[in-house]
Amino acid sequence: MEIVALQVLNSLFYAAVLFLIAAGLSLIFGVMGIVNMAHGSFYALGAYVTAWSVGAAAATLPPAALFIFLLLGAIAVALVGLMIEPTLIRPFYRRQEEYQLLVTFGLLLVLEDVIRLLWGGTPLTASGLVDSLGLVRIGGLPYPVYNLLMIGVGAVAALALWAFVYRTKFGVLLRATAQDRRMAAALGIDVGRIYALAFGLGCFMAGLGGAIVVPSQAAVLGMGVEVLVIAFVVVVIGGLGSLEGALVGALIVSALRTITIQFWEEFELAALYLIAAIVLLIRPTGLFGRRA
Amino acid sequence: MDKELLQERRGFLKQFGATLGAAGLGAAGVGTAHAAAKPKGNIPDRPVKVGHTTFLTGPAELLGGPGQRGHVLAQEEINAQGGLLGKRKIETIFADEAAGTDGNVKELRRMKLSENIELFTGVISSGNTPALGPVAEELRVLTLFNDGCTDFLFDKAVPNPKYTFRVTNIQSADGVTAAIGAATHWPKVRRIASLQPDYSYGRNVFEHFVLALGKLLPGIEVVSESWPKLGTTDFTSHITKILSTKPDLLIAGVWGGDYVAFYKQALRYGLFDKMKVATTLAFGGYPHAIGKDHPEGVLAGVHANYHFLYPSGDRWPVNKSFVERYHKRWKEYPSFESDGAYTALYLYKQAVEKANQLVGGWPDDEAIIAMLEGTGIDAPAGYLYLRADNHQGYKDAVTGLSKNLPGYDFPVWDSASIVSIPIRSITAPPNWPKPGQGHNESTAAADWIKKTWPAAGKA
Repeated sequence: MEIVALQVLNSLFYAAVLFLIAAGLSLIFGVMGIVNMAHGSFYALGAYVTAWSVGAAAATLPPAALFIFLLLGAIAVALVGLMIEPTLIRPFYRRQEEYQLLVTFGLLLVLEDVIRLLWGGTPLTASGLVDSLGLVRIGGLPYPVYNLLMIGVGAVAALALWAFVYRTKFGVLLRATAQDRRMAAALGIDVGRIYALAFGLGCFMAGLGGAIVVPSQAAVLGMGVEVLVIAFVVVVIGGLGSLEGALVGALIVSALRTITIQFWEEFELAALYLIAAIVLLIRPTGLFGRRA
Repeated sequence: MDKELLQERRGFLKQFGATLGAAGLGAAGVGTAHAAAKPKGNIPDRPVKVGHTTFLTGPAELLGGPGQRGHVLAQEEINAQGGLLGKRKIETIFADEAAGTDGNVKELRRMKLSENIELFTGVISSGNTPALGPVAEELRVLTLFNDGCTDFLFDKAVPNPKYTFRVTNIQSADGVTAAIGAATHWPKVRRIASLQPDYSYGRNVFEHFVLALGKLLPGIEVVSESWPKLGTTDFTSHITKILSTKPDLLIAGVWGGDYVAFYKQALRYGLFDKMKVATTLAFGGYPHAIGKDHPEGVLAGVHANYHFLYPSGDRWPVNKSFVERYHKRWKEYPSFESDGAYTALYLYKQAVEKANQLVGGWPDDEAIIAMLEGTGIDAPAGYLYLRADNHQGYKDAVTGLSKNLPGYDFPVWDSASIVSIPIRSITAPPNWPKPGQGHNESTAAADWIKKTWPAAGKA
């Protein structure tokens, strides 16, 4: 029984991280029409910035104060995103999609190398944060309180994002721009600003995903590419451009992964691609996708 | 440890000729200044170009980085003495193995055809050596692979090598070494769980570990298999699954950043309290990649090759001196890849010098190859020899239990726990039939173990 409980929690934690990444990916595509290949690298950047800053401050600050670096890691990534959008992405809006894919893929390669240049090949960790919160016992088995807390963070982030997009004025502008960029511009909306902020917000989500994952795992080279593939499976299932889709897709992918690991280990990856293929066959736009 | 168990263990180790704890003999070896014979004949003074492909980016940089530093250290030392035969400096062209197998093959061709390299070294991945080996033979470029240790290379891809050699131990030795280490330290384990990266390396480790352990301990049973994709960092579901099957022992072949992420999660899930853990590569990357929160008493594998504290300094000065020079140059400690890359270049130097003494002038490849076949060298890891029949390097395989010692910011081996196994005891002898020659096992080693190792019984 405790095994089931643990696997459900494992699955929810993984889903929380996947949601943060996939939601950012979907948001950027929904508003700007850009498939951001570099999105996983922003996730990795969030992980590295957080692990590095926690490591640097661990000697001077009490463990409880270190949690602020989870947020700072995400904000740092958002700032990087805000700088990259006007300089690198904006010149390509009028070009065909291939160019956008190429430039964001190039960005992925550059970011991977920047990370290696700044932090080297040795994995960075911040496990002090996990230890500071201790463990709970589920049945007879220990489970880190940190993971419980981060499942909560994922849920709060999902709610906050929903409220932001559907209940604020900026959300209205965002959705208006997503629906019809020219009309929005004609009505006096500063579309350039909306784009930059949407990109920054997407990067913030990815950075937050990386920040919350790093204390329980490790920041390693290549983690961004790894997660990008799974994030694409999530948005393919949920529908690219849909926040609800990102949430449902993340839950489905994560649950499916956990179930196959527990019962049919050999099919861990195959099952994910299989379900993505089935969704594509039945609903090519994904479960929550709108027809273009 | 109770006395009876210790005696039982000694008896057990005897059948392999293995030793427990520090051992070794002194010798003068690589990197130490000893008077070389004066080169004979006319030596040109143009540099020797060497190609070195290794992982410079991506997660495998954890292995490739130390390899590159080992190569550079050897290159700098040799050049400081005036170069090969005192005249020819070494110039290395580096290439990133992360470019993928096709990219590596193209780059090897380019290195040979447009840069005219005289020696090709490096290569970490077992996916790449079987592709590069045949190309090196075709291009006739002398090649000393650092790693890429799959049995498949000399079993199948290049069954009759002429130009290709490999320095580090063969892959099947990895799983077998972990099995002997586990059986030595924990003879009572029966229920086995496995966590392996889902590609050829993980498959090889799992197969040879289970095969060897089954011969060593009676009645073992595999209760759980996990095959995470290489590059996985979320192991919580795998860990919970493993816990649910209540094994005595976990054999883990996950390595690099994957292993770091794994042990961090396993620690908080209490996995290490519930079972013994044996690994093949826990200490395989930069030594400082593993934190001091890593549990003690884990069988910490090094690809069955080398860990910098063994052979211990006083008994094998070659290693002590290598570690000192490496640390001085790079401000970190070497890994088994550092030892392999460093030794590869010195093997070349030694063969060139020997060939020069025989034929004079700069020796051609045929002469250098003749001097490499069957040769031995006192490497930092110990005595290494290149077998003439398959061009594979052999040195005693090692593993040990992790321990935190003062003086190091990372865990190292408990010196009393190190298991050192003569390599001939765990690898198929010369000319043993290869897969497809009368048997269909995955490796010659697997066939040899199945047919010749006695099964475990009551002692």
